[in-house]
Amino acid sequence: MAEFEPKIVAFACNWCTYAAADLAGTARLQYPPNVYIVRLMCSGMINADYILRAFEKGADGVIVSGCKYTDCHYIDGPVKCDAMFAKLKRLVHILGLEDERLRREMISTSEGTVFARVVKEFVDQLKKLGPSPFSSLRKEKVAV
Amino acid sequence: MADVKIGVYICHCGLNIAGVVNVEEVARYAGTLPNVVVSRDYRYMCSDPGQDLIKKDIKELGLNRVVVASCSPRMHEPTFRKACQDAGLNPYLYEHANIREHCSWPHATEKKRATEKAKDLVRAAVRRVYWHEALEVKEVPVNPNVLVVGGGIAGIQAALDIADGGKKVYMVERDPSIGGHMIQLDRTFPTLDCSECILTPKMTDVGHHPNIELMTSSEVEEVSGYIGNFKVKVRKKPRYVDLDKCNSCGDCAKACPVEVPDEFEMNLHMRKAAYLPLPQAVPAAFAIDKRGISSCRIACPAGVNAHGYVALISQGKFKEALELVRRTMPFAGVLGRVCTHPCELDCERGKLDESISIRALKRFVADYELRVGREKATPIERTKEDKVAVIGSGPAGLACAYDLIREGYAITVFEALPQAGGLLSYGIPDYRLPKEVVDNDISYIQELGVEIKTKTPVKNLTEIFNQGYKAIFLGTGAGVSQKMGIPGEETKGVIHSLDFLRMVNSGVEMKLGSRVAVIGGGNAAIDAARAALRLGAKEVAIVYRRSQVEMPAIRTEIEEAEREGIKFHSLAAPAKILSKDGQLSAVECIRMELGEPDASGRRRPVPIKGSEFTMNVDNCVIAIGQAVDKTMLPKELDYTGWGTLEVDPVTLQTNIDSVFAGGDLVSGPADVVAAVAAGKEAAISIDRYLRGISLTEERQITPKKVEKVSTEGVKPKARAAMPLLQISERKGSFAEVEQGFDEKTAIEEAKRCLNCGVCSECFECVKVCEQEAINHEMKEETVEIEVGSAILATGYDQFDPSVITHYGYKKYDNVLTGLEFERITCAGGPTQGQIQLKDGREPESVAIVHCVGSRDKNYHEYCSRVCCMYGLKYAELIKEFTKAEVYEFYIDMRCFGEAYEEFYQHVSEMGVNFIRGKVAKITDQAITEEEKGKLVAVAEDTLLGKIVRVPVDMVILCAALQARSDASEVASRFTIGQRGDKFFLETHPKLAPVNTATDGVFIAGCCEAPRDIPDTVAQASAAASKALSLISKGKVTTEAAVSHVDETICHGCGRCEEICTFHAPTIISKNGGVVSSINEALCKGCGACAVVCPTGAISIRHFNMQEIESLVDGLLEVYHG
Repeated sequence: MAEFEPKIVAFACNWCTYAAADLAGTARLQYPPNVYIVRLMCSGMINADYILRAFEKGADGVIVSGCKYTDCHYIDGPVKCDAMFAKLKRLVHILGLEDERLRREMISTSEGTVFARVVKEFVDQLKKLGPSPFSSLRKEKVAV
Repeated sequence: MADVKIGVYICHCGLNIAGVVNVEEVARYAGTLPNVVVSRDYRYMCSDPGQDLIKKDIKELGLNRVVVASCSPRMHEPTFRKACQDAGLNPYLYEHANIREHCSWPHATEKKRATEKAKDLVRAAVRRVYWHEALEVKEVPVNPNVLVVGGGIAGIQAALDIADGGKKVYMVERDPSIGGHMIQLDRTFPTLDCSECILTPKMTDVGHHPNIELMTSSEVEEVSGYIGNFKVKVRKKPRYVDLDKCNSCGDCAKACPVEVPDEFEMNLHMRKAAYLPLPQAVPAAFAIDKRGISSCRIACPAGVNAHGYVALISQGKFKEALELVRRTMPFAGVLGRVCTHPCELDCERGKLDESISIRALKRFVADYELRVGREKATPIERTKEDKVAVIGSGPAGLACAYDLIREGYAITVFEALPQAGGLLSYGIPDYRLPKEVVDNDISYIQELGVEIKTKTPVKNLTEIFNQGYKAIFLGTGAGVSQKMGIPGEETKGVIHSLDFLRMVNSGVEMKLGSRVAVIGGGNAAIDAARAALRLGAKEVAIVYRRSQVEMPAIRTEIEEAEREGIKFHSLAAPAKILSKDGQLSAVECIRMELGEPDASGRRRPVPIKGSEFTMNVDNCVIAIGQAVDKTMLPKELDYTGWGTLEVDPVTLQTNIDSVFAGGDLVSGPADVVAAVAAGKEAAISIDRYLRGISLTEERQITPKKVEKVSTEGVKPKARAAMPLLQISERKGSFAEVEQGFDEKTAIEEAKRCLNCGVCSECFECVKVCEQEAINHEMKEETVEIEVGSAILATGYDQFDPSVITHYGYKKYDNVLTGLEFERITCAGGPTQGQIQLKDGREPESVAIVHCVGSRDKNYHEYCSRVCCMYGLKYAELIKEFTKAEVYEFYIDMRCFGEAYEEFYQHVSEMGVNFIRGKVAKITDQAITEEEKGKLVAVAEDTLLGKIVRVPVDMVILCAALQARSDASEVASRFTIGQRGDKFFLETHPKLAPVNTATDGVFIAGCCEAPRDIPDTVAQASAAASKALSLISKGKVTTEAAVSHVDETICHGCGRCEEICTFHAPTIISKNGGVVSSINEALCKGCGACAVVCPTGAISIRHFNMQEIESLVDGLLEVYHG
């Protein structure tokens, strides 16, 4: 059986973390292809529903990432994101998901290396953790 | 949506994508996805042929959705949106998949998996694009006016660029002149051209430009609106000088008595409160610096302008000082002696060391007049028909008469006794208040036209009204001594204080025994005791029922009484007066202890049983209080339970409309200044009453206090001691004890004043201004302006190096900051350009310390960018104009600009010593002979790897440039971002360096980050061109991907309104309910409102829940596990 390859959805703000991921690519930093980035305008736009949807659809891990507090294009998006995240974290816990499956990051535009490192770390961590308890909810399995 | 037709285009990007991802396979796969009618791959989708492919398919195949998988959408999303638009498809029906930066590049070694990921990304994009909606991009017109905030070089440059382009600029500058930091600089590196010479013409241009409206002393208070249409409220602080009338002659500054440190000269020099902000000020007009009303003025019950006369005395303007006192009240001589001086208690100097001797200074000017002689005062012209009667010629009555005569009324004062003055004449002994002083003050009042009828008791008010007086002021005082109510009080030898003092002051010969007891602890008791001593009593003792600290008498009076040998029996009270042969022989007293506090807050004295003791005395003066003598007053007046007259507390009106009252008669026994205050208050009421206007309206105005008093650089200095008559000369003589200051002492003492409010409102400037340009009544106003864009050029603050205590700034005289040194080398500066030490010597050696507060984890990590260069400039100037050795202590030399490196070379060749190492400390602790009397810069020379100690005469600290202390407030007012170091945040550090989070708000100069003048000017022009480009476009498109409310679900809870940083949502009433309404022009599309919306009524267009969830679904649909 092939090695378990976790699927990760990263919700990223357009201005910092998405740009950091662009920078990681431009710099040809190599990280595993397990991560999919959903581009939103601001980390303050990330709705808890999106994250729950990702878990529901079988994501093994979710990253929530945006600007640092002082870099936000919309002034204070990270603060708003924190408020959402704090509530969500508890909800995810109650749902029976391991706390480690949900990560909060603040990766700014110039931190391509940070982005690549976070993805690598997270993939390793999730591999140890194994598939999400909700993987049974996946409709379709296609072996590659 | 059955007829959704999606076209998918996979870009090879040469081999950038195709070298890793199997693009043909991805394109084939895309073709299998629902609603996809065409899928293609192409070498360069962004090229014209690539775009044409899309356009052609849209037209020919009727595509109504497009997905391109290529590089980052941050790069080419706009390109493909435009291609769609060109082909007639709404640009928002487009979706982009990033298969280069997020796929082929970072997964270059895993081609197979990269291809799978690319398929996932394309599938998700196809899922999402299905739900995209056509969005309308709205256009709004742009107001062509521009706001420029800050009048430094950045603001000046930006304003001129725009104004020269024919557009209107409002320039708002906080200070009274534009010029900013640059005008403070002496010369500019590396060309060494004089800063004034190059900047002044630009400043003048701003001042005269027909398209620039300059608003100095002004600050932006509020900003609303959005790009193209901002409304800005500007608070204009009064300058107190009419810009149109002032011709900058400077007469006001010459006349102004107030000296304060000159900020422009970095406090190295003094300026007046009426001042030209800087020599080349634009607008070229003087300004008056008012920071509120000084505490001493607020404390004075009578409202005497203490600050004003102290300031005038400090300049030797004694006559003017006295005039200023008399502007408020006539008793300079009297209150200069007997005032309880609340002003001194509140004096800010008192918080530093000792309060100013304000009372003694007032007395000094009154004495000065007595000494040099006074010209007879000119009678006041009567301008009012009405006559007013004042009954009682004490301080309350005379103060009232004085104010009313100056209002033009005819005034008659009725006095029962032979002398005018009330208690001033009959209550206070000569050694404290000489008769000629009282007489001088009273004759001044009389000379103005007040008629005083002595020996004219008034029994009946009707009789006064019958004489044609329209209003009456009653100020008859509290003229009867209170009785103790103890056995033997009527014994011969017992006398009440008022009777005693009246006799003393009338010169009635009195024979006192050798032992006198005085009962009481107020001023009357002390006066009686000290008078008794002067009348020949051998032993005088004061008996007071509380402890000595609680005595209400003036502290210095108590002290003097003690020095004169008067004994104090505190915590004792007389219980019985004993007599022998009908003559007083002794007072039996009882000791007291302090119990619970009473109504006055003081602890109530309680007798200790069995503690009686007897004092053998020949006379006893009872001074336990005074009361109103009702028998002398008309019956029809109302009284309080205390036996005082009942009046309205604000207007001092009695129950008879035309009768007013004040002073001890109303308050019970109080002090002179309180009586004067009451008389003045009654005068206001009487004037209003006679003019038939409201007695109460706008009566009590709260004065604006000084918020922060600057004590910087003030050296402690004790207050001048009052010279006193020798104790030995006091017995048997009523000669005045306090001798008063001489001129020198008075001036010195007055100079200790901190000038808290800066302008003292002495109005000397008004007297001398021939242009009549000065108006102290100017008020702050708020004006609203409308602009289409704003440029913030608010500059920087210099880091205060005193926080780095080991550098000794403000501890050692010759440790300076860069800006201070700029002023020293400037020809127009405090030393006329002579590079010199505080003591005037030329320095033999100078250390220039780089990176003070910059590149330092403890303060600012960033490099301030200009310090290396200005450090070199200082070295150049010192070398050029002095023989001093120069040491540059640097970490790295950063000479990056045009001709900078050449300048560095030039300075190196002048023989300047460069030491690579950060200075650890500056000390005056010499360890060698050579270091004695020098400042020693201690550093590690990192090139030699050893510690060096360099003795120098002067140290210049290259202090960091830091964000303005109020940068956060400005940022929040304009809703723009800040970095961690508080400088304003640009949209993109490289590609949008003057844009901010708020469209239409641009930044320039040091408010964004430290930079030199050339970069600042370039950036200012960039900001100006952004503003002009906006104006030139004439309209702006608003973001289409904004928040949207489904009004059928919204119930107007207001959470969106709370969370929005940009004030886009507001809760409005609609159809009988409340709903949120989004101002789309303000909405930035950040989505925070949608997250907090509890009903799901709010969604963000182009990012709605359906779209994002479809995207997520698409990403996770295929499991590669």
